[in-house]
Amino acid sequence: MNWQLLPQFAMTGLLAGGPLALTALGLVLIFKSSYIFNFAQGQLLLLGALITWWFAVELNLPLWLAIVFALVISALMGLLIERLALRPMTGQPLLSIILMTLGLSQVLQGLALLVFGGTQRNFPQIFSAANPYKITMPFVYNDNNIVIILKQNLVWSFVVAVLGVVIISLFFRFTRTGLAMRGTSEDHELAQSIGIRIHRIFGFSWALAGVVATLGGVLLATSSGLDLSLSVVVLAAFPVVLLGGLESIPGTIVGGLIIGLSQGLVSVSKVPIVRNMSEIMPYVVLLIVLIFRPEGLFGQKRIERI
Amino acid sequence: MAVLRPAGEFDTSYASDMATIRQRWQWWLLLAFVVALYALPFYASQSVVALVNRIGITIIAVQGLNLLTGYTGQISLGQASFMTAGGYISALLVNNLGWPFFAAMPAAALGAGIVGLLFGLPSLRVKGFYLTMATLAAQFIIPWFTRNAFPKVLNGAQGINVQVPVLFGIEFNTPQRYIYLTLTVLILTTIVAHNISRSRLGRAFVAVRDHDLAAELLGINLFKYKLQAFFLAAVYAGIAGSLAAHQIRHINSETFNLIDSVMFMGMLVIGGLGSNLGPIFGAIVVEMLIEGATLFGPLFISLFPSTAAGAVQALRPLFFGAALMLFLIFEPRGLAHRWQLFKAAWRLRPFSY
Amino acid sequence: MRKSLFALLTMLMVASMILVACKPAAPPPTEAPPEPTAPPAEEPTAEPPSGPPDLTGETITLYHFGDLSGPYAAITAPLIHGAEDAVKALNEAGGIYGATVEIKFADDGGNVDEAIAAYDRFTSEDDNPLIMISYGSGEAEALAGRFAEDKIVNITAGLSAKAFYGEGSGYTFGLGPIYPDQLAYTMDFLSENWDTYKPAEAGDEIKLAYISWPTAFGQGALTDESRAYLADLGIEIVSEDTYDVSPTADTTTAILNAQAAGANVIWTNTLAFGPAAILNDLNALGLRDQFVVASDNWAMDLATYAFLADPAYGVGLITPFPYLWWTDTDNAGVQYTQQLFDANERSAAEHNVGYMLLVTGVDMAARAITHAIDTVGYENLNGEAVHDALIDMSPFEPLDGVMKADYSDGSRSPHMSQIRMIQGGPDAFVVIQDWTEIPDLRPSK
Repeated sequence: MNWQLLPQFAMTGLLAGGPLALTALGLVLIFKSSYIFNFAQGQLLLLGALITWWFAVELNLPLWLAIVFALVISALMGLLIERLALRPMTGQPLLSIILMTLGLSQVLQGLALLVFGGTQRNFPQIFSAANPYKITMPFVYNDNNIVIILKQNLVWSFVVAVLGVVIISLFFRFTRTGLAMRGTSEDHELAQSIGIRIHRIFGFSWALAGVVATLGGVLLATSSGLDLSLSVVVLAAFPVVLLGGLESIPGTIVGGLIIGLSQGLVSVSKVPIVRNMSEIMPYVVLLIVLIFRPEGLFGQKRIERI
Repeated sequence: MAVLRPAGEFDTSYASDMATIRQRWQWWLLLAFVVALYALPFYASQSVVALVNRIGITIIAVQGLNLLTGYTGQISLGQASFMTAGGYISALLVNNLGWPFFAAMPAAALGAGIVGLLFGLPSLRVKGFYLTMATLAAQFIIPWFTRNAFPKVLNGAQGINVQVPVLFGIEFNTPQRYIYLTLTVLILTTIVAHNISRSRLGRAFVAVRDHDLAAELLGINLFKYKLQAFFLAAVYAGIAGSLAAHQIRHINSETFNLIDSVMFMGMLVIGGLGSNLGPIFGAIVVEMLIEGATLFGPLFISLFPSTAAGAVQALRPLFFGAALMLFLIFEPRGLAHRWQLFKAAWRLRPFSY
Repeated sequence: MRKSLFALLTMLMVASMILVACKPAAPPPTEAPPEPTAPPAEEPTAEPPSGPPDLTGETITLYHFGDLSGPYAAITAPLIHGAEDAVKALNEAGGIYGATVEIKFADDGGNVDEAIAAYDRFTSEDDNPLIMISYGSGEAEALAGRFAEDKIVNITAGLSAKAFYGEGSGYTFGLGPIYPDQLAYTMDFLSENWDTYKPAEAGDEIKLAYISWPTAFGQGALTDESRAYLADLGIEIVSEDTYDVSPTADTTTAILNAQAAGANVIWTNTLAFGPAAILNDLNALGLRDQFVVASDNWAMDLATYAFLADPAYGVGLITPFPYLWWTDTDNAGVQYTQQLFDANERSAAEHNVGYMLLVTGVDMAARAITHAIDTVGYENLNGEAVHDALIDMSPFEPLDGVMKADYSDGSRSPHMSQIRMIQGGPDAFVVIQDWTEIPDLRPSK
């Protein structure tokens, strides 16, 4: 073990958990309201970033305006997807719905490649790439105080991501629509009977998921460029969701931090094979969770009857 | 079952009712079809032979998935990773231990099966997309293992070159020769899959799929049958992986990837879940779609100049995804169901009821 | 019922065996690939046809497959345009003895199995393919055996040692030195000039960190031979780490581990966003002045600049450079390439190594085919003749010296290269060591 790197990697790991949590949030939003696990979330994230790039670089708009436009478009895209692809699937078995979102992910990935091409792009910088934050730790190693170096975009992406998750939680707790969404997630028929238009709620949650995805996409793209492989980050977010619990919004933060931390901790090892485990750590953690606590840390345990 | 029967032919015994092939002329038809397939290299071009070869291997993998997902109802996104396991095992046995391919392939099937069992273990506690996630874990952990473990033997991410199968001094080194291997194995796997689905095992699978709690109350050992389904699916994947690796002559962690696993699920849905014809229909339709994308690609280049020559790669997921979505909306029971309807209509002709 | 089923199966098995045994079309299994040293000795005896033949109306097809849409797309779009423009210019200048040259592309998305599908398609369209151009180490390695069996020349930019010298290969020719050679060459240079290039705080020993992609390409420079060579130079490899083949890859962990292990040189066997990720992160971490960053030839390219957070981050990158660059305008080949580039109005982003190299590659292919026609005549022209021609012509300088190729003596990759260093903005690729012979670390089979 390279013990002197432990504080550094624990910290970077935790911070990397922020964007993971934001990505996971998009999944939870849709699952909470409509019981759909959206395998196309990664592609929504990719398209959000690509559209932002298109407005900001091709049309030369200021970045904030580009992001606003992209947020609007991705919300519309979410609505459209819900209406065209998922609405016909109401009442279909789980397998069909999973495959529907998988099919959707393929279509969106193909579209992104067809329209934008496969080349990698430089995304406008939001946070300075140079001048990292240096924090001197109170521990001493080899007569030197350990210094943690943190990239600016890592820190600020974390802040933005956590802020996003907090805002969405507050929205769910205190607004009328948020309460309606929570109601819908409890029981579709019951919600309908008390006058909640559940299709509107479904559409809204997809739109919101599109917005969250775009935000996540922009954060990830700004730290190191943009290409079609951006959509695979969602694969690391699936375990986050299961760890936190499929229905839990605060769970995404905790899940994101734990997964990020686990990835950071294995990197401390001196043995390359252990270090390389960081890429599969989300799934190792996932398997452990599935065996010992299948409903996740904050999820609801469901009891089935015949 | 698979063959059309005109009106007026009836079964006169239980044996005949259960039989797969009931009439003498159906035998001849089947034989003619198989002979036509085997004679393919004599009248078709190399690329067609290579395509049929690819389809054959894909069908085997999808047949395994059909046992797991179609019959037992356990959704798996890890089928391609078990192909990786099978491909590596077979390649190592042939390359390093000098086994003949024909001994290495069954061993690879068994080895992949055991790996499949391991990743089926979470099915004890979870189902639905939780289980899907566990199989997705296989899709990450197995390729990671081949990239990082035993670098001297597995050669890391670079992968290993795989020897060509040799039998009686004949090297199966061209698609025209390899297709005989693929077709023979495919016929065997089809017969086995068909018979599993008609046996006690297959009926137990269906019971688990239709309602697992109810099946358990009826005395079906859920865990045992789920694990058996995982094992069988991985065995099929192992066979397909071994065949594919020796055909490609190279295997690395990316040879069979997540997209392949998704494709297999898509093929199964397009073909028809829980039907023995499903994998065959599905694999053929999807592979043809992909081939179509390859042919139509150049047309699209003029429409979307930013993609340049990449249009082919863009059209593949696009065609596949769109086909999958349309099938889910308009024909969720797949082509096999459509075929059943067609057969029934033919049987009742000229009356439509 | 069951009996007849088994009878049928047995019949099918027997039938398939017979069919396989009788199948005449497939080429007989090749023994060892032809010894490349032999043909040049025999070649002169072949009677040259009298005068140049007139092949007007004939078509010679070059094939080309590779990743046009996957991770390497940024590099490959200019590559295709370079090949297209070069072929167009070649035809305008009269083709090969009047024969029209055409070039066909296939996109394999970087997947080996799709590369093989493309190969099968090409070989079934054409029963006498001469040359296939490819890139991607994975594809080159996996297909090397097929190229040798079917006797088709593969000119490739995937410079993995295994593809060129592995068992059963022999028809794979490189557009650059193999990666182990490049690593050895660069480390040779660095250890000789360590005092000039070493980081301010570094010691007298070179400590190498190998931080690269976990792919056939990324790991291509580390072979038994190159490890032994580095050990002889007294260079220790103190850490080996990998990062994702993605512009969003994070190399912080790898860099900090390298630092903890006391490394002072980083080698990354990657291209475009690969070196960019490391340079970006080194700068973001404020550690740039602690390492010499070196890489393979593809790293020093315009495409890298698309991913650098600041063009200044590229400064100091050192790589082997086995060809000339656009700024070497005194060279006729470079001038010719620039003319093609201007005439076809290519965009500024395509002013990179891909375009330059494919113009060179097409020139090399055309010269080899011409030489083969001169030697064996057009009616006998096949992949084997082109293979022999490449060896027979060696050493030669495709495109007036843009590259220096030598395929004689069993070598199938060039052995001459410069070393360059980025000093200043894009295109400021300054020669710090002129054309020199580089170490030959081809694996003993």
